[in-house]
Amino acid sequence: MSTDKTDKKELLNGTLDLLILKTLDTMGALHGYAIARRLEQMAASVMRLSQGSIYPALVRLEQNGWIATRWGISETNRKVKFYSLTKAGTKRLHVEVANWEQATALVARVLGAKA
Amino acid sequence: MTPRRVVQRLLALLRKGRLERELDDEVQAHLELAERDGLARGLTLAEARDEARRAFGGIQQMQERHRDDRSIRWIENLLRDVRYGLAALGRDPGLTLVAVSVLALGIGANTAMFSLVDGILFQPLPFPEPDRLVRVWEAPTPATSNSTTTATFEELQRQSRSFEALSAESQSTATVPVNGEPVRLNGRYVSADHFAVFGVQPLIGRAFRPDEDQPGADPVVILSHAIWQSQFGGDRGIIGRDLLLDNEPHRVIGVLPPGAFDRHRARPLDEPASFWRLNAFTAEERAASSHWLNPVGRLKPGVTLAQAQADVLAVRARIAPQIPAWKKDWSIRVEPFSLLLVGDRLRQSIYVALGAVLLVLLIACANITNLLLARGAARGKEMAVRAALGASRGRLVAQLLTESLVLGGLGGAAGIGLAAVLLELAVPLLPPLPFTAEVALNLRVLAFATATAVTVSVLVGLLPALRVSRGSAATALNSAARGSSGAHDGARRAIVAVEVAVSVVLLCGAFLLFKSLLQMQQVDIGTRIDRVITMSVDLPRDRYPSGNHLAQFYPTLIERLEAVPGVDSASVSGDLPLQGTGGENLRMPGSDDRLLVRFKRADDGYFSTLGIPVVAGRGFTAADRAGAPYVTVINEALAARLKERFDVANPIGQTVDLPALGFGRDRRAPMTVVGIIRNERVQGDLRVPAEEIAYVPIAQAPRLQIKLAVHTHGDAAAAVPAIREAVRQLDSRLALADIRTMEQIWEQSLSGLKEPVWLIGIFALASALLAAIGLYGVLSHSVTQQRREIGIRMALGARATDVLSFVARGTLTMVGVGLMAGLAAAAALTQVTSSLLFEVSARDPWAFVAGALGMGAIAVFAALIPARRATRVDPTTALRSEG
Repeated sequence: MSTDKTDKKELLNGTLDLLILKTLDTMGALHGYAIARRLEQMAASVMRLSQGSIYPALVRLEQNGWIATRWGISETNRKVKFYSLTKAGTKRLHVEVANWEQATALVARVLGAKA
Repeated sequence: MTPRRVVQRLLALLRKGRLERELDDEVQAHLELAERDGLARGLTLAEARDEARRAFGGIQQMQERHRDDRSIRWIENLLRDVRYGLAALGRDPGLTLVAVSVLALGIGANTAMFSLVDGILFQPLPFPEPDRLVRVWEAPTPATSNSTTTATFEELQRQSRSFEALSAESQSTATVPVNGEPVRLNGRYVSADHFAVFGVQPLIGRAFRPDEDQPGADPVVILSHAIWQSQFGGDRGIIGRDLLLDNEPHRVIGVLPPGAFDRHRARPLDEPASFWRLNAFTAEERAASSHWLNPVGRLKPGVTLAQAQADVLAVRARIAPQIPAWKKDWSIRVEPFSLLLVGDRLRQSIYVALGAVLLVLLIACANITNLLLARGAARGKEMAVRAALGASRGRLVAQLLTESLVLGGLGGAAGIGLAAVLLELAVPLLPPLPFTAEVALNLRVLAFATATAVTVSVLVGLLPALRVSRGSAATALNSAARGSSGAHDGARRAIVAVEVAVSVVLLCGAFLLFKSLLQMQQVDIGTRIDRVITMSVDLPRDRYPSGNHLAQFYPTLIERLEAVPGVDSASVSGDLPLQGTGGENLRMPGSDDRLLVRFKRADDGYFSTLGIPVVAGRGFTAADRAGAPYVTVINEALAARLKERFDVANPIGQTVDLPALGFGRDRRAPMTVVGIIRNERVQGDLRVPAEEIAYVPIAQAPRLQIKLAVHTHGDAAAAVPAIREAVRQLDSRLALADIRTMEQIWEQSLSGLKEPVWLIGIFALASALLAAIGLYGVLSHSVTQQRREIGIRMALGARATDVLSFVARGTLTMVGVGLMAGLAAAAALTQVTSSLLFEVSARDPWAFVAGALGMGAIAVFAALIPARRATRVDPTTALRSEG
């Protein structure tokens, strides 16, 4: 696997994680499809996202203890996992948002100075 | 990564099945929800389903990433590969069985061999600080070693500054009553410091006290663990009891721990020493010039070998005035004790055998590589499919390597079991190993076996793995089931050529050693070998207190023995052929020039019983008794030496000066040479040429320790009970010991060459067979591959012989290259074996031709089967089946 790909994936991971955390923060408990739809609606114009890619991100977040799962019933009457933000997840979201803002501010300043 | 996540990922390994199912459920639910939305937007069911799938993206790729993210992937892969490997091996049980057995044989033989190397060469002596143990020798010349005299030893003990402890060791035997029966045991005379030298404490009881080896001290004895167990039932009450050694009470003060001292034998065929008693030197022994003591010492901490050497040389210089002038050029030498135990030849044999068995393993590996290559060709499609499904090349190589590791693991485990069995069977057959060698499957040996198994796995797996995983998907999937490519066959042919070459090297080595053994068997030992039984008897001093008693007893004993039915003749002597004998100085009267000769006591029946012809003059007669004029019989070697050295043309009637070893006397006397006999070999080592020997009548030089040789009509061993009974009737206190046929003694002297011969022989045969199997495999594979081509040739009119020559051409190249390379390597490796050979050149053409022919014949035989199959190809079926 080339380094190039790795970089992309990692960038995507970080962003995707932040977006999922933010979605759950805003919307409360959701199942995977609902999260994917929501992200699609918000980001469709900016980036192409295959819906399936949220599942690896979800397991990562869950293993870190930032989101919790419980089993529920979907609109199609199927057993499905509902994801919700934990306390640690809320804290994490604040940290991530702060980091993000710092980073974008920095990038904006650098780009602004150049222009 | 947070610690929590690490734990979660490890747990995920265990919950793999459930997590996979849950993910499947989620994906399913997701797709259903997406479909529902699609239907709601007015799509048809099929459109909605497609749309849902497209939006979701690649499910398998997602699952892979999910697995990557949730778990520790390489462990998961490894577990799966092992499972998969086992399953793959299970699918092809024939190949697996062959591969595992070949590996087990290779690894097992190597492990067994390594435990010998480890026990004999690598492990330190089983004593504390073994580097401080030394042996002190007198050195008549820089290359020879001799025992020392009582006087010199006592001076060393008194004057040297380098030793923490110093002990003089010499052989001892004693007849001991065990359960009412006299039993002769081997033992040692030692100094009080003896066990301090080795740093060994008795298991029970105590060691010798410093004053116990002084004259007048009460006699004490320490027993070996083995004899304590076998003869005294492991009774702890033995301590403090008196044991009759030659009818003289010795207090048992200690029993040694089990181990090295249970294996301490003086000569290969002897029973190990089982008791240690003390040397309390008599005034006579102090005055005597006999070299009979072997000093062993423990250096003081920090004293180097060089310092100790300088120290003993200084002592030698100080006592020089007391040493007879003819020994003034002798030196004295300190050697590491370990040097005494493992001689150069033993070391060489072990390394050669280890090298050979490693080569066998190499060939075994090559064969399995070939098998795996052949199988790999068949698995090309499977790999191509996996690669197409996204498995990386590294992943495929890892999977294939894991499969060969599973193979190696199974082979290694079976090999360790095999090694245990081999050691159990082989160690008793080996020539006596150094008494300190503990040959066992210890941790080091197991580590070696494991390392070997892993190395072998990688060796056999890497090439096939790289090859198989390289195949491009398109060619593998598209090509008809043709299996291997030309390049595959090239590698397999090269491997076979290497196998042939290595086998040729081993075969040449085996033939060289075999020819040496034949040469050694041809050595004329100068005595009768068949139908002769020999034994030792120690006569108790209290019953035979003087030389006269002994001189009268010998003929009586012979008379009794010759009256035993089945006995042709019997003799009494001081030593037996091939069993070593002492040396004495021979002088010509009026000259101070000395000749060191072997010195042997014999009675009037010795030469005839052992079939040694008298070539001039006479042998001994009953008239050569105590009190009669001193006479001697010499061998041809000594006659020749007398002529060369002293210009004695006809020694018969000549007077020579030899020790008149009476009973407790030590003086020299002129003796008349009355006869010359043909040479007999007195040394067990047949590489030593015939030595000069002077014989004296045992009646004129009587001794308590005697050897009997009995020539029988029929089977020698069958006469033993009757002989034993005859001796018992004469004196019930006499114990017969060391009962062996001359044949056994002779066989023993071939030892040290015989074992390497059969070891290397077996290894060579094994490697030749493995090479043949490899050759067979490649040929039969290529005949299968070329059936179509052969079919076309036959359809176009080729005859069976043409087909044969078509198939044979490749084989001849392969075998020919291997043979040439093997012969060249064998010629280059002569240095390795030359010191083991006996009267055979290391480049003996006969052995090389035999090696090449042998391998050639085996190769032709292996090639014949597939070649014949090729000639039976039916053109129509061959063309149709693959058309």
